[in-house]
Amino acid sequence: MTPEQIELLVDQVTTAHRPASVDELRYAPAWHDLAPADRERAYDRTRALRALEAALDPDGQSTTTRAIVNRIKNLAR
Amino acid sequence: MNLDDYLPAIVAGDADAFGRWLAGAEPSVRDSLRSFARVVDVEAVLQEAMLRVWQVAPRFASDGKPDGLRRLAVRIARNLAVSELRRTRARPVEPADLDDADELAVAAIAPDPLLRAAVADCRDKLPPKPRFALDARLANAGATDDRELADELGMRLNTFLQNFTRARQLLADCLHKKGIAIGEELG
Repeated sequence: MTPEQIELLVDQVTTAHRPASVDELRYAPAWHDLAPADRERAYDRTRALRALEAALDPDGQSTTTRAIVNRIKNLAR
Repeated sequence: MNLDDYLPAIVAGDADAFGRWLAGAEPSVRDSLRSFARVVDVEAVLQEAMLRVWQVAPRFASDGKPDGLRRLAVRIARNLAVSELRRTRARPVEPADLDDADELAVAAIAPDPLLRAAVADCRDKLPPKPRFALDARLANAGATDDRELADELGMRLNTFLQNFTRARQLLADCLHKKGIAIGEELG
């Protein structure tokens, strides 16, 4: 893989989208293609993005927080 | 506002109050999982842990110390991460991964009006396509994956990701010029 391809995989992992868990946790598919050091970079990048997202949101909520609340509301319906 | 102030509404089943609590608790719970980042998908563990916190919240009993629900969230998240290590047999569990959540040096992070203004200013300076990609992720809030977002924008997945990467790098450069440290992790 080229460094550019690895960067795109790291950015794919930073999304707050995770498939709903059934019997076991479902990971971002791209996470499995990353080496341990790149997974750590994905973690650091996600952490920074969430702070940025919260700063842009009128309620100070990141996409992770909003994804969780939406899942709770969907489960309740 | 103290995070514990949301407890009565959360216990009563108010999902929006849980969202306000989450906004304050999420950064420190995520930070508590950093040592697992090489071997588990922290985002997946974090989201599942927070769903479990919501499920047990009606039975939550305070121990009298501040920030009880957040400390419980850290414990649930780290236990789930350890379970994931065992399930995936990624590596043996080390004692350091089983630290007492009460001893973790994690603190809720207060919103910073200056950071908000700087990020909004940098976002406003993005070229159209990178901004579309960034805004799509923000508006979607994890409801669908990047492939569906790309379809909605009439882009191929790779094009969408390249635009998102460009947005992230431009934001990092802009924030760096403003002397904001968050830009270092973004770039």
